[in-house]
Amino acid sequence: MTTETTTEATEKTGTRADAAGEQRPPAEARYADELAKLAAWDAERGAELPPGWRLSPRAVRAFVVGDEQLGVSRKFYGDDPLVDRAVVALMGRQGLMLVGEPGTAKSMLSELLSAAVSGTSTLTVQGTAATTEDHVRYSWNYALLVSEGPTQRSLVPSPVMTGMRAGSLVRFEEITRCAPEIQDTLVSILSEKQLMVPELGPDAREAARPGFNVIATANLKDRGVHEMSAALKRRFSFETVAPVRDRDFEIELVERQLAAELGAPGDRPAVPRDVLEVLVTVFQELRSGTTRDGAPVKRPETVMSTAEAVNVAVAASLEARYLGDGRVTAAEVARQVAGVALKGDEEDARRLRHYVDNVVRERARKDKGWKAFFDAAEVLWR
Amino acid sequence: MTTDTQGPRARAAIAGTNATEGRRIGPDGAGLDGAELDRAELDRADVTGTDATADAAAPERGLRAVWELAPDRLRRAAAAVEELRERGVHLAPVRHHSPACAVAVRRAIEELRPATVLIEGPEEYTRLLPELLHEDTRPPVALLSLPEGHGSPGGASFYPLASFSPEWVALRTASETGAVIRFCDRPSAERDRPTTAPATAVAPGDGGIPAPTAERHDAPDPAPAVGPDGGPAIGPETPAEHDPFARTLMSERYLAHSRSVAALARRLGCRDHDELWDHLFETRSPAGLADWRTTFDDVFAWAALSRLDYEDEVLAADGSLDREARMSARAAEAAGPVLVVTGAFHTLAIAEALAGLPEGEPVRGRWPEGGYGPQATGDAWLIRYDHERLDGLRGYGAGMPSPGFYERLHAAGGPGIATQVLVDVARAAGERGHQVSTPQVAAAAVAASRLADLRMRPHPGRTDVLDAITSCFVTDDGGIGPERPLGLAIAEVFGGREVGRVPSGAAVPPLVRDARERVRAVGLDIDATVPRTARLDARRTPAHRARRQVLALLDLLDCGFGRQVTGPDHVAGRGLGLIGEEWEYCWTPVVEARLVELSHLGATVEAAAVTVLRQAEEGLREAGAQAAADGAATLVARAAVVGLTAHLPRLVDLLARTLDTDRDLGSVVAGARRLLGLWRSRVELGLVAAPDGPDDTTWDERPASALPGGTTRPDEPGGRSPADELLALVAQALATAAYLVADVGRVGPDDEEAAVASVLELRALARDANRAWGGDDAARPPTGHGPGVRNVAAGQEPASAVARELARLRDDEGAAPAVRGALLAVGAVDGDVPDDVLVARVRGALRPGADPALAVRFLGGVLRAAPDLLLHTPELFDAVDGAIRDLTPDAFLAVLPDLRRGFTWLRPTETHRLAERVAERTGSRAADVDVRVRIDENDLAAGLAVERELAAVLARDGLAHWSGGHS
Repeated sequence: MTTETTTEATEKTGTRADAAGEQRPPAEARYADELAKLAAWDAERGAELPPGWRLSPRAVRAFVVGDEQLGVSRKFYGDDPLVDRAVVALMGRQGLMLVGEPGTAKSMLSELLSAAVSGTSTLTVQGTAATTEDHVRYSWNYALLVSEGPTQRSLVPSPVMTGMRAGSLVRFEEITRCAPEIQDTLVSILSEKQLMVPELGPDAREAARPGFNVIATANLKDRGVHEMSAALKRRFSFETVAPVRDRDFEIELVERQLAAELGAPGDRPAVPRDVLEVLVTVFQELRSGTTRDGAPVKRPETVMSTAEAVNVAVAASLEARYLGDGRVTAAEVARQVAGVALKGDEEDARRLRHYVDNVVRERARKDKGWKAFFDAAEVLWR
Repeated sequence: MTTDTQGPRARAAIAGTNATEGRRIGPDGAGLDGAELDRAELDRADVTGTDATADAAAPERGLRAVWELAPDRLRRAAAAVEELRERGVHLAPVRHHSPACAVAVRRAIEELRPATVLIEGPEEYTRLLPELLHEDTRPPVALLSLPEGHGSPGGASFYPLASFSPEWVALRTASETGAVIRFCDRPSAERDRPTTAPATAVAPGDGGIPAPTAERHDAPDPAPAVGPDGGPAIGPETPAEHDPFARTLMSERYLAHSRSVAALARRLGCRDHDELWDHLFETRSPAGLADWRTTFDDVFAWAALSRLDYEDEVLAADGSLDREARMSARAAEAAGPVLVVTGAFHTLAIAEALAGLPEGEPVRGRWPEGGYGPQATGDAWLIRYDHERLDGLRGYGAGMPSPGFYERLHAAGGPGIATQVLVDVARAAGERGHQVSTPQVAAAAVAASRLADLRMRPHPGRTDVLDAITSCFVTDDGGIGPERPLGLAIAEVFGGREVGRVPSGAAVPPLVRDARERVRAVGLDIDATVPRTARLDARRTPAHRARRQVLALLDLLDCGFGRQVTGPDHVAGRGLGLIGEEWEYCWTPVVEARLVELSHLGATVEAAAVTVLRQAEEGLREAGAQAAADGAATLVARAAVVGLTAHLPRLVDLLARTLDTDRDLGSVVAGARRLLGLWRSRVELGLVAAPDGPDDTTWDERPASALPGGTTRPDEPGGRSPADELLALVAQALATAAYLVADVGRVGPDDEEAAVASVLELRALARDANRAWGGDDAARPPTGHGPGVRNVAAGQEPASAVARELARLRDDEGAAPAVRGALLAVGAVDGDVPDDVLVARVRGALRPGADPALAVRFLGGVLRAAPDLLLHTPELFDAVDGAIRDLTPDAFLAVLPDLRRGFTWLRPTETHRLAERVAERTGSRAADVDVRVRIDENDLAAGLAVERELAAVLARDGLAHWSGGHS
């Protein structure tokens, strides 16, 4: 495992350098070499590709869950059957809906699948309350529209339309943040696989080429999300992405993400294993509402996702580097948890105080790491 | 993943890409090469001594590849299997409840037509062959063994057989071909004393057995031992001792925990060893499976992987080696050709022992000098079983999960059952309100087969179908959810609903037969597989009374047959006024198994029930006097409810004696309450001579004096009905209670609440008891504060002693204040205490200068007993109001929590009326007083502190009147 991690870290550092200038290149750029390997593997086997796909289903799966023999790294952890189901769902007529709490790597999974299946993960609609039908269908270049009238040249296709033309996967992030009527624009696109453009004439339409499909991600329980219509629901296969439950595994995930965000441990203050343990334990216990010994804990409303844990670790590391003595301790973690994870919610702060009083206080007596966390929290969270 | 690019990787293609069957080609052109086994993986699995090179061309048989590169030991064993075949000894390694193995076993027997078929299973089961082979026997059934002496409950072990179990198929096929059938495993009686085998089997100085082995056997507490893959299990097993199904003879702990199997599963992208098995075997075509030599070789290889993960010491300690010794010895002595059907985990050892290989020494060394002799005998029974119990998913570890799925697989004769299963799940989900459309089913069918392609299986397996359901039937973020309609539908279809049948003449332990007859005799349905509901009116209908009695009897035996849903619970003393009652019951295999297990308790249901009662009595005696009266009364109630009236005198005697020693008023009162409840239900419980014709009188319409024997003088001996006995006991209990009343006054503050509760309970009991004795208000409804204790003719009724003692306690200044307060209040309610006395006493208790804590405890007692007095008696209100106003702020704060609690006894409407009264007094509005304030203690404390400070500031500035009148 150790060697694997190191190679991957180097690999990532390498690609980062290649794509200089971009903060975060898309998956198809970051993992270009792996995608090439898998394509070669498909060719070598003579594997049958579904229409419009760049890789065979098996290669797509290998891209996501890794294959040691082929030198493909594992990128998604925790639920391999889910990946199988997702790959198969994308071959069907229905779209793929990834649902789950924030920070369960839904978006990452959708990015990886798009990169592997279509070679691009950038055909993305980001759902917000301000998303309009134009973002899903098409809009116009108004200068051209005024001068030329409605023509192909003056038409500005949406990512969805581009995906239909190219036969690519299209990602629709956070679809439930859009108003239901905007969401429903997808209904006809998904069922008829075509888009009428009446402005160009009564018969003008864009037909989806093979390979087109939609991966949507949604959060059904968060605040400020909309309902999804039954008609739309019927056009998607639902997959629930669950939070990571295994502590060691989550620690590993956080470590990897840290390396991805801040570079290899050499270039930055290292976050010691025991500090990560404190961090991940805090997150897991607050997320599940019970301590590892089974004692109940008050669950904050804020989602204590792995992604948030990574944010805390990153912030703690930055704090140690620029404001501290370069060593990351549980004290930095405690300070950052309050700010990064709790988002200033007073009720949640009370729940966290309760957690500190009931759980951390006891642990602080026996464990240095927890003591540092407790001391910092004591001062800050009062 | 192609072979050519793998370099030194081994192709242990135990998935069986083989010549006979042809390559199974996946859609991507790959065969089942997914089953390639990493060499490193094998190394990790403690396989040593391998020197083979990896790249094996497509092997003749799947298994061969393993042997080529695997350790010498496996290769030699493979050769041994081959050699044994030539000698006419055919080993058939199986996984229990595997349809794939069943197909292979059938083919093998049909082709070989062996003279003898040996089946892993305790030898004494051979005696049950006629019943097993009876044409009326329908799986699922189970063979049941009880531990020696049938002593400890939960010690039963089961040997389940489904229609798709290889063992079952072997039995039936062998019987068709006329083979001699024998079970060949260690008798189940021996599994409880594993020490004997090595002692007798091991020759002195035999180097074959590691020394620690014998020691471990002698250890008093051997590690929890479960028979590896399917072997009849040895020794104590998995937890949940109360659950008879925690012990199954076909446990798979070893396979589930094998590191090699786990590594292989990971390698092939299977989530666990069950999926791995499906991947390797269950998705094969019937034609492929019918090549039984290949199939068995592959199963052998699969199990050998996990076998090598365990040291001989472990296998010796759990008895595996002993059992393998017997099985191999039986195979050696059987008339050939012989087919030996065993769990695949044992095949390696058996082959090595039979072939005389050095590795076989630990097993062969256990062969006794003179052989094992004639087949062991012992008690065992054939009982019906059901899929639910068979389902490994339910945590019993009984082999493969989802018997419903594999039943279909077996019945269909081939692996293409995905669509059928999907349709059934959709229908079952629809019945539960989760509608699944036809397009969804079609999409799921497509998804299942694509998943199978993706996972390189020729047909969708169990997990593929489940994943397809997850993908296509779920339309929200809740997943399948075991409690949701879809989850239940899956449980129904995958779990199966089959219930087996045993021939009517099958030997059943007498207790089971008796119970069955009793249940049938009273007209309860014994054949239903889902719970039925019986609505009974035991008071009016004698037939219902009989039914209730049988249900209660079996309930006493705790055999899971029925459970009361509604209606009076005479044991707990709840719902006694109810006329009808409902029971839910179902004669499941568990019931039968539990009865078999209890069969050592007695030959009839009654006898067993008596034993259970006696055991409970013993328990009570051992527990000593603490709160024993209620326990004894509970026993009396249980005996009465199940109609064991013949045993009542003894129990009554026990209770009478416990009453003498029990020092706990609460227990005595509760016991008496139970007895009185029984007495009230005496007619429906059959505790009196049966009345003529339909009996529709209720207890309070039947004067006690009309009962046979009369009850006005309950202490008169001789000729009394059980009901009279009960009433006599109530009298005795009341006397005891009266004696104990004085103690209640001496409790500390912490026990005050319980003391008040038992005093109030005692007062209510005394009132009800008076009615039983024909007090002059016998016809009054039992609710409301009617005159009760007061009306008892002085000295005549047992309850009068109680009334006297209660009154004495009430007037005892030294008694606990809450108890006094409560007694004063009920006295006032009952009319024993005039209002002016009440008010004077309350004033006295709350007078200025009295300890506020004591005062509030007193007030708490009053409010607990009769909160409405505060509303009905204006003077009392004034007294309380004044006393509270006079408290200093600090004292008020100190007693506030108790005060608040005291007022919670008021009903909401009463609270509101009180609030109106307070509002009137303070000049505010009731709505402002009677509000629910959502603050916690800290907020309250902070608020009060602020208020006090403010008041102090105002007072300093000469504005004290601003702060609103207090103090």
